[in-house]
Amino acid sequence: MSHLTTLAATTAAGPGAASITQNLVFWVLAVISVTAGVGMVLARRAVHCALMLAIVMLSLAVLYALAGAPFLAFVQVIVYTGAVLMLFLFVLMLVGVSSADSIVETIKGQRLAAGVVGTGMLILLALGIGHGAIGGARPLTSRNGSGNVSGIADLIFTKYVFPFEVTSALLITAALGAMVLAHRERTTPKPTQRQLSRQRIAGSHPTPLPGPGTYAQHNSVDMPAMLPDGTPSELSVSPVITRRGLSSQEAGGPPPGQVEAPGKQEARP
Amino acid sequence: MSATIAAGVITPPSIEYSQLCPMLLVFGLAVAGVLVEAFVPRQARRGIHLVLTLGGLAAAFVLTIVVASSKSLFRDHAAGHVAAMGAVAVDRPTLFIQGTILVLAFVSVLLIAESSHDVSSFAAQAAAIPGSAEEREGLLAGITHTEVYPLTMFAVGGMLLFPAANDLLTMFVALEVLSLPLYLLCGLARRRRLLSQEAAMKYFLLGAFSSAFFLFGIALLYGFAGSVRLSAIAAAASSDTGSTTLLLAGLALVGLGLLFKIGAVPFHGWKPDVYQGAPTPVTALMASCTVVSAFGALLRVFYVAFGQLTWDWRPAMWTIAILTMVAGALIAITQTDVKRLLAYSSIAHAGFILTGVIAATAAGLSASLFYLAAYGFTTIGAFAVVTLVRDPAGEAAHLSQWAGLGKRSPLVAGVFAFFLLAFAGIPLTSGFTGKFAVFQAAVAGGAVPLVIVGVLSSAIAAFFYVRVIVLMFFSDPAPDAPSVVTPSVFTSAAVVLGVVATVVLGVVPQPLLGLASHAASQLFVR
Repeated sequence: MSHLTTLAATTAAGPGAASITQNLVFWVLAVISVTAGVGMVLARRAVHCALMLAIVMLSLAVLYALAGAPFLAFVQVIVYTGAVLMLFLFVLMLVGVSSADSIVETIKGQRLAAGVVGTGMLILLALGIGHGAIGGARPLTSRNGSGNVSGIADLIFTKYVFPFEVTSALLITAALGAMVLAHRERTTPKPTQRQLSRQRIAGSHPTPLPGPGTYAQHNSVDMPAMLPDGTPSELSVSPVITRRGLSSQEAGGPPPGQVEAPGKQEARP
Repeated sequence: MSATIAAGVITPPSIEYSQLCPMLLVFGLAVAGVLVEAFVPRQARRGIHLVLTLGGLAAAFVLTIVVASSKSLFRDHAAGHVAAMGAVAVDRPTLFIQGTILVLAFVSVLLIAESSHDVSSFAAQAAAIPGSAEEREGLLAGITHTEVYPLTMFAVGGMLLFPAANDLLTMFVALEVLSLPLYLLCGLARRRRLLSQEAAMKYFLLGAFSSAFFLFGIALLYGFAGSVRLSAIAAAASSDTGSTTLLLAGLALVGLGLLFKIGAVPFHGWKPDVYQGAPTPVTALMASCTVVSAFGALLRVFYVAFGQLTWDWRPAMWTIAILTMVAGALIAITQTDVKRLLAYSSIAHAGFILTGVIAATAAGLSASLFYLAAYGFTTIGAFAVVTLVRDPAGEAAHLSQWAGLGKRSPLVAGVFAFFLLAFAGIPLTSGFTGKFAVFQAAVAGGAVPLVIVGVLSSAIAAFFYVRVIVLMFFSDPAPDAPSVVTPSVFTSAAVVLGVVATVVLGVVPQPLLGLASHAASQLFVR
């Protein structure tokens, strides 16, 4: 425990500089962030996981600020919590697929073995790091110089300029990869508006297709709308979701009792 | 430094462009390849990419030779130079590894460029769902992803930087730069796309986990030494200050990340699945260049940063090397898929090279360097042959389909048999010379039991290689036997280069052995 306290103290602001406030904030945030981290792993719903992750990230940001790294703290809030995690949430909400994890063990006893090994690893690391005496951190001024931002700039643009520049290769790869995996080029010419309207009038549905049952019970687009006789309208769900192998029930529809199964197949165009 | 900060001025860094030029050229041409994708019409892309990629790799190889032969770099018996503000080490072992990677990447790109028996090995539209109408449209239109060329160049750039990284931060960035394009390339197969996507997913998830372990190890080592420079970690380790617990935990985790990339048992789980699912040219690239690069990084970390800790890491590495050799050879016997068979063979070979690494001497380093170069050529050649045996669904990878191949196309079967004999380590092939070199270094380093295990598992491995040869030459072909396509100049060149390298390095290995031992004589620069 004493080692951990030293760790806390050095994390806060270097040896000797740790005030009671800093210690207090560290311990409160330690409890909060670890609890949220455990909760993120254990939570069943993907949205809850993402929110737990946000708590962990915000706690980290406060710890960074406490450790005298305001730039990192703000980047953590603005970039990770603000942008990346919110994108996560948008995707989760838009797709609206409630994640019911498959709990079938393909290899017998796999989960038990993973649990035992994982706990062993955790104990080993906790003991190792708990016993590892971390030498006194250098005073903040030696790292920060005239300020945190210029200190970071100095490191990024002199000592670590090469890895920093090479990271751009990583970003280009990521952008290129996203294009490769998600962008589909047309192999046929794009139909004109005239052709589209002709097609629509000639087809069986001249009117717009019904919207999904977003407002009835659930707020996801894979939820079919109900027809006046109570049967779900398959037309109301985008074919992309059904085509991916998710029937409307698997994708978070109402429990089997509420929706009549007959009529589902016929309603599909 | 504090003075400059106080003045609010940052002194500009000095970058030794002349020493870094091979790497910078590869990265630059990768970016140029992305621009080609953006602005050049589809019909012209492949040709331009081929010129850029093959020409660029050849030019980078020439530049590597120029750097290696520069007088100023190795003046006064210097081991090398630490360039780019201490981020990149330029020394003889690294230049040898980089040269090897560039040559092997050139041969792999020849396979990637193959387009005679299919439009290409890569998907028409990776975004189209397998089995969908869109996929059919793309296949009928005869298009393909030409983005694979810049992605390959990015991967090669990362591979060049990975063994040259002089601090763990740069090494981590290089690891990601080399891995991310490979994750993508794995999922782009034109045939058996679900298998390919599963391979990419597995590789990505497991690779992300191993990167996390690597990063955690870096954090612990930073906590120990107060620096991520390999030489600073070595200095802190020898000065006996700080907490040994952190050092050893960091060593274990960083080692884990590196051993994952080379596919040592117990971190080998991804290798058979990924090698099987990935497009075969990409498998060839991974089995040769990635392994060379990862071994380069492993050698640098364990020789430079943990050089004084051999007593601490040797027992663990012994265990891993023995496990890798034995498990790789034993599991290979049960395989029925040619690509999985080659994957397990690659695992066993990683174990053989580890015996050279464990020696922790200049002899061990030079033997490992030679083995890596020799094995790379043979493995690319073997995968090139796999691309030639095809049935209507694509490559005929199941071993039963290879029965009687020797009666129908003796040349292809003979070449494959020759590569298998080289894997087994039969004299007069490069495999024998390589194994002899690493085992000799291991014996000199006092690892006699390790060598005995190595020889025994070579014998087990020889059993299944010979079994495949017997299957090809002494059994009758199945009625649905696949046909052997006539390769175009690209695949032919890759196969011929593989055969020539395997023969030459087996019969007259002395020039390359001499080069390797000259490269290893002063170990790594610190």
